Amino acid sequence: MIGVKDLTFSYGKDKQALHGLSFSVEDGEIFGFLGPNGSGKSTTQKILTGILDGYGGMVSLFGKEVKEARTRDFFQKIGVLFEFPYLYANLSALDNLRYFSSFYPREQLRDAEELLDELEFKRDFLRKPVSSYSKGMRQRVSMARALISNPKLLFLDEPTSGLDPAGAVLFRRIIENERKKGTTVFLTTHNMQDADLLCDRVAFMAGGNIAALDTPGNLKAQNSGRRIVIEYLDQGRRKEKTVTASKLKQSIPFACDELISIHSQEPTLEDIFIQYTGRGLSS
Amino acid sequence: MKKSLYTLFKKDCRMMASGKFFFVALGSLLIYTLFIHFGYLKFMDMDIYNVYLYDPAGTQAQASLLVHPTASLEEMDAMLEKDANGVGIDAGDGRPDVVLYAGSEKVDRHRADYALSLLYSGSSYTPETVGGNTPEMKKRKEITCELLFIEIVAVGFLGIASVLFKEKQMGVIRIHAVMPLHRSLFIFSKVFLFLLTDLVFAVLLTVLNVGAAGMGSFLPAVLVQTAILSLAMALTGFGCAMVLRDFKQFSLAYLVIAFFATAPVFLTANTPVKMAWARYYPFYQVYMGLKNAFFGTAVTSPVYFVRAACVIILLFGIVFAAFSREMGREG
Repeated sequence: MIGVKDLTFSYGKDKQALHGLSFSVEDGEIFGFLGPNGSGKSTTQKILTGILDGYGGMVSLFGKEVKEARTRDFFQKIGVLFEFPYLYANLSALDNLRYFSSFYPREQLRDAEELLDELEFKRDFLRKPVSSYSKGMRQRVSMARALISNPKLLFLDEPTSGLDPAGAVLFRRIIENERKKGTTVFLTTHNMQDADLLCDRVAFMAGGNIAALDTPGNLKAQNSGRRIVIEYLDQGRRKEKTVTASKLKQSIPFACDELISIHSQEPTLEDIFIQYTGRGLSS
Repeated sequence: MKKSLYTLFKKDCRMMASGKFFFVALGSLLIYTLFIHFGYLKFMDMDIYNVYLYDPAGTQAQASLLVHPTASLEEMDAMLEKDANGVGIDAGDGRPDVVLYAGSEKVDRHRADYALSLLYSGSSYTPETVGGNTPEMKKRKEITCELLFIEIVAVGFLGIASVLFKEKQMGVIRIHAVMPLHRSLFIFSKVFLFLLTDLVFAVLLTVLNVGAAGMGSFLPAVLVQTAILSLAMALTGFGCAMVLRDFKQFSLAYLVIAFFATAPVFLTANTPVKMAWARYYPFYQVYMGLKNAFFGTAVTSPVYFVRAACVIILLFGIVFAAFSREMGREG
């Protein structure tokens, strides 16, 4: 679906943003693009969505070089959710969706009200101006805008930003449903939980380079110390011991009266990100 | 494409309506009309021009009683300095030479002609016909032309920028970068809407202040000049809104642009101040094109229209580049 080879981009003579990125995204995959601010995530997404040109290397979408593919047909196949909920504040949710959807062929469109229902948008606000909405409601309308054209390729930039935990769970479920339908998702985020729960593969961006690219599971496994923490009772006293996974193969390698809990000590994606890039995601 | 353009146009109409732009335009129309009817015409309804004659040998025997004789050229000059609208006639060598207040020599020939006609009072002298307008109609056309020029240069220019800054603030311009529509349609829709508004404004202002009678003879030419000015100003406003970060920056640029667009034009056209370079100044050319159109002597030179078309195409290119750059900016 997406093929990127030796992608470079510069905002000026001395401001190189991307230093030769190479990656590919398969059909129906959820691909996570993780990195701190200024790492080149947004620039990459803008190049992929055809907003920026003047890049070096090769970028192909739907089997065509982006430079040549920016046609009406190309934009009909992609849906983009921006980092901020950009909407016409003087129009209602329905009017915004009607306006943006009117640029697509009618047979391609989903029903705006059904979509908003799916996103648990409060019906009372359907016809009220966006200026009266909370950030979560605006984010729901923006998501509806990105989905209304049934895109084959969905670019999501911080989709759960501004949502409460229940909203974030709902959005993850919707993204999962999109994948089940066969939609390819390019997810740009700071949110480790989103990346961990949703992505088939993640790429860690740092300073315009990809520092690591693999499945979240592989990244965690490769960087795990395979340690297990065991809590137990010994002669009425609560104790804790850390052992390697191999020592648990036969039995508990020490005497205890009762086991309380066993926890594997896997690093989080953020731990691994710091390990690869030397920087936290929020920096 | 037609459907996309229609959708954009409808949305722009809603944006302008919600920004009270139509209300402001209607308000301007009302204020201008009230000013012309109850202010300007009365204010400008001055006495007939005074004519001063220096004729030491008494050669102008048929001079009307309306002519004020002066004893010397110095006295006549002093009178003209005090009465800048007056006309002096120097008949010191027996041949009447018209003397006007410095700077107004080329303003209007009919004052000179009127003065000379007073020298032949009661004779068969027929003054040259300068134009078919009554003094009141002349005044109406002059002020309507000036207000229309101001409205397009200042108000329309501000209007398109305010709508765009709103869209910039809401971030929605970026969404259009990933929509299946050609970017130029976004620009075209807005510019077309402002053009249409300016044309309607021009028609209404003319009907209300010049009158509908005989309008057919000059209105088409007025609308052509209005369209040239409106397109140029709408594109300039669009470009400024794309290049400048916020409305505060735009306000400063607006003052500078509005001042430089209008000040040399009005100084050259309406005051004794003469700027030799003004005839090369594009705004002056369009203003004179508009004024000539009101007075039935519309510009017909193809060079003028080719130049105007080139400027509009160039502005469109610049605006398109600035618009594309804005789409790629960070949120």
